[in-house]
Amino acid sequence: MTASSRSTALALVVAGFALVLLFLWIPHDIQTGIVERVRRRTAIGDALAPTVAAAVLLLGALVLFVERRREATPGLSGESLRFLLSVIALGAVSFALMRWAGPVAATLAGTDYRPLRASAPWKYIGFVLGGWVMVFGLVTLVERRASLRGAITAALMVALLIAVYDLPFEDLLLPPNGDL
Amino acid sequence: MEMLDHVWLGILAVFQGPALFTLFGIPVPVALVMVALGVVVGIVVGATPGLAGPMAMAISLPILISIFGFRPEALLPVMGFLVGVMKGSTLGGAVPAILFNTPGTPDSYMTTLDGWPLAQKGQAGKALRVAHASSVMGDTFSDLVLFVCAPFLAVLVERYLDFPEKAALLLLSLTFIAAVMGGSVGKGLISMGLGLLVASIGSGEDFYPRLSLGQPALADGFSLATVVLGVLVLGEVFKGLEDTLREQLGKAQEALTMTGPQHLTGSDLRRILPHVGRSAVIGTVIGALPGIGSTLAATLGYTLGKNRHAKAGKSPAFGEGAIEGVAATEAANSAVSGANLIPVLSLGIPGNAAAVFLILAADSIGGFNPGPGVFRMPATGINSEMVIAFGLFTLMITANALNWTLGGAVMRASGIMVRIPRALLLPCVILLTLTSIYVQDPNMMGMVLTAGFGVLGYLMRRFGISPLPFVIAFILAGPLESTVRQAFSATGGDAWFLLDRPLAAVFVAIGVWVVVSNLRRNRSEKGA
Repeated sequence: MTASSRSTALALVVAGFALVLLFLWIPHDIQTGIVERVRRRTAIGDALAPTVAAAVLLLGALVLFVERRREATPGLSGESLRFLLSVIALGAVSFALMRWAGPVAATLAGTDYRPLRASAPWKYIGFVLGGWVMVFGLVTLVERRASLRGAITAALMVALLIAVYDLPFEDLLLPPNGDL
Repeated sequence: MEMLDHVWLGILAVFQGPALFTLFGIPVPVALVMVALGVVVGIVVGATPGLAGPMAMAISLPILISIFGFRPEALLPVMGFLVGVMKGSTLGGAVPAILFNTPGTPDSYMTTLDGWPLAQKGQAGKALRVAHASSVMGDTFSDLVLFVCAPFLAVLVERYLDFPEKAALLLLSLTFIAAVMGGSVGKGLISMGLGLLVASIGSGEDFYPRLSLGQPALADGFSLATVVLGVLVLGEVFKGLEDTLREQLGKAQEALTMTGPQHLTGSDLRRILPHVGRSAVIGTVIGALPGIGSTLAATLGYTLGKNRHAKAGKSPAFGEGAIEGVAATEAANSAVSGANLIPVLSLGIPGNAAAVFLILAADSIGGFNPGPGVFRMPATGINSEMVIAFGLFTLMITANALNWTLGGAVMRASGIMVRIPRALLLPCVILLTLTSIYVQDPNMMGMVLTAGFGVLGYLMRRFGISPLPFVIAFILAGPLESTVRQAFSATGGDAWFLLDRPLAAVFVAIGVWVVVSNLRRNRSEKGA
């Protein structure tokens, strides 16, 4: 795919999205029109702003289509897509660990997590595990190998964030303790 | 109370504000300490390739708010720190450009052209001193223009612009930013349209939160911090991670030695001053226009300086280690930072990423709404927002004074930062950003949404779409919609209110002209 054809494809995708927005999403997900009459006065409705946004998207797509021969669009290579999917997968695993590691540990210990969420070491379990996996995983992904310095960096970073956010402030909560 | 009284109160708010500690019996105000810390952090961050001032501003904001709380007294210390980071990072960007031929910030690329040859000739110390002096001079000039222009412009806006004109001015600003940011007008408009759309989700005046698809996660809309940190910080970090993955690791750095005198002489100053003066004006003019940014200012300052230098037949030529080249670039890119606050403080329109974070700070803490209302003279009493604005100006002068005095030493000491591997640094920035989002709003969904906006920012960069029009459109969408609603009501439901009023029609016409002329310019530039 050439840079010019990528510009065309991008313009078409954006134009398609703008049309879906204009003819499907806005009419079905907003309960007032572009202009409405309230108590015999004409006022602007909630649909105007998204309609303008859709019109700007459509105009942008049209201009990009006109510019397509001059405007090179880098695009997403297969390698970039693999990188992005790896980052998303790593993020999902890290978030899951962050969210569930503490409650699972509490359940295994035969207790409920909620009363323990403000006391060490329980309150750190999810953040330490999820945060460490996130940083170590990303370092490993970028360096293409698991390294001791990556593991140490991740541990130090997690410890630093606990020291910065949790130890000095009683009112700040580390993830996931505000959700539980 | 007159404006001068407000100026004085602003100065007092900084120097007689709460003291952090006493030194030889003299209380040291917390706002001054925060500016000093901000300058040091900014220089170090600017000197670290892969990090940038806005990134440090984003990450430090929740920590600062946790320390100072959501009180009006928090505004000056928090904004002082952010201003210090903004100014320091511009200075720090020159360090890796000169010492390692690696621009710390994109606008320092031109500094490498002469800074690195100077370093190779054993003149790294002199190059750093030239960069320091030029950067601080450019920044100071730009700040002085800001102090004069912002109140004046805001008073004009308040006096002569009604709702239709204000709506047209906001539209013009958005169109201008979309048209000039990045290379493509079409992509700029797409970025702006996406920003307007995201701002529409979950907002509106009706009981039903619009475009929320019935999902509770969308019904409250997206917070400014979620969008800004996701698109601007995480998007950039994801791209930086992938770039690091592709780069050759372990590139050997050339060992540098210094030979000859490294200090700045009177003769050196006479050589660089004309270039500093020209570039400071260029940077200030460009900075005052929202969205254009310091990279263009640096390029223009360097190119014009190069032409002048070549015409005068001076040696060494630009690109071969001329201190004038370093001066022309650094004065231009530093002069952007002060002037960038002109549209923020006078119109409420952020012109660059640093300004976005200042607005984010004001929005998070409350009590200060950047815009023309800041400089409105009250009939009686004081306008506390104006006092804060003049306090901010005082902090900017303080930051400049610190850059003049301590900046050079911190700059030279920051060279070590370039040795931190990006592969280790960037993953830490991701965890830090997500944690800082969570401590502001303890909700895992907020972290997930921020990461989602990070992916959007990454994709935008990969498709060559600048994310800044997106963020600025997101910020301005609310004020634009409310101004349009008010203008529509005030004109009795006149659908043509943007064209009926002469000044509003002129703003709309300029907006159309900006788009068309940029399209034509791009066509002629790329067709050539």
